[in-house]
Amino acid sequence: MKWIGFLIVALGCAVASFFAVVHVAPRALMHVAMTRVDAGVDGWRHAPRVSETSRAVVRPSPDLAYSSCVYDVSDGAVLITMAPSADYWSLSFYQANTDNFFVVNDRAAPQGVRVALVRAGAAHPVGDFQVVEAPSARGIALQRRLAPNAAAFAAADAARRSDVCAALIQN
Amino acid sequence: MKRLLFWLSAIVLGVAVGAGGAVAAMGMGARMGVEQVGGWTINRLAGSTAADPVTRAIVARVGLLALAQEETIYLQMTRDEAGRPLREACRYELTGGALPARWWAVTIYAGDNYLPVNHDDAFSVDASRAQTDAAGRWRAEVQAERGDATNWISSRAAGEGFSLTLRLYNPEDAARTRPRGIPVPTLRTIGCAGGAP
Repeated sequence: MKWIGFLIVALGCAVASFFAVVHVAPRALMHVAMTRVDAGVDGWRHAPRVSETSRAVVRPSPDLAYSSCVYDVSDGAVLITMAPSADYWSLSFYQANTDNFFVVNDRAAPQGVRVALVRAGAAHPVGDFQVVEAPSARGIALQRRLAPNAAAFAAADAARRSDVCAALIQN
Repeated sequence: MKRLLFWLSAIVLGVAVGAGGAVAAMGMGARMGVEQVGGWTINRLAGSTAADPVTRAIVARVGLLALAQEETIYLQMTRDEAGRPLREACRYELTGGALPARWWAVTIYAGDNYLPVNHDDAFSVDASRAQTDAAGRWRAEVQAERGDATNWISSRAAGEGFSLTLRLYNPEDAARTRPRGIPVPTLRTIGCAGGAP
C-alpha cells in the first residue's frame, strides 16, 4: 500500500513538472530572445546580413533581411511602421508565449504598414493606422524582407531605415 | 525521518522524470513533426495561436519566431533516405522542381539549430538563385566541398546530425490544407568519406 502511494505521488509530480516546464519554457526562451533583440536599442534593430555569426534567434534564414523591435504596450500604444521593399516582405508580431498573433505582407499592404499596437482590451487610438491588440504587454515585432544576395540586401536595408517602432504620441 | 525521506524521494523522482521528459521532448522537436511529407516532417501548428503547449515548447526551442502556416510552411529533414542522421562526412543530392509557393528556400542548420560556422556563404538554395533545367527541375549538392556543384549547400562544419529546412513563403491553399501533396525535394546519398554511409 505504501508503495502504491509512492507511485501515485511520483506520477503526480512527474505530470505536474512536465506541464510546468512545457508552460514556462517558451516564455523563458522568448524572454531570452527579447533580451538579445532589445540590446539597448530604441526602435527597430536592423540586423546585418545573416551569416554563421547570427546567434540571436535559432534557425535564421540567410535569404532574409531581419529587423526586430521589442514592444511594450503596458503604458500605452506603440506605433509600428514598415515601408515596402521590392520583393516579398512581412511584418509579424509575437506575444510573450511565442505565438504569432498578427502578420501582414506586401500582397495585403503593397504601400507599407502603419500599426498602432495596444494592449488587449485597451481603448483604441484614432489615426491613420490600423489598430492591433497585443495579447501580452511585451513581445517582439519582426520584419522579414526577401534579400537572397548582397544587392537585394542593400536595397532592403535602405527601405527599412525610416521605419518606426516607438510610443504612439497623439496631440 | 525515514518516512519524510520516503515521500521526498517520491517527489524528487517524479519531478526529475517529468522535467526530464519535457526537456527531452523539446530536444526531439525536429523529429517530432506531426506529419511526414516524403522525407520531411511538418508541424502545421508551428507559430500558431492554436498550438498546444507541447508543440509551442518544441517550436520555441527549434524554431522560435516561426510564422503561422498561413504565411509560411516549414518542413524539416534530419535523416537520409535510409533513416540515418545527416552527416558532414557524406555527400547528398537534393532534387526538386517548382513548389506551390510564391518563394521557397532550402537551408542547412547544424545540430545547434544555427548556420554551420564555415564562411562558405552557401547556406541555402532558393527559388531566385536555383539553376534549373529546361523542365524547371533543379539539383543541389549538400556536401562539405563545392566540387562541380551548380547549386551548392555547404555542410562543412555542420557535423553529424545536421538538418535541412524547407521554407515555403505564401504557400498555395492546397499546400496548407493538404501538405502531403507538396512535391517536396528528394534527398539521395551519393557517398560518404570512408565508404560506409
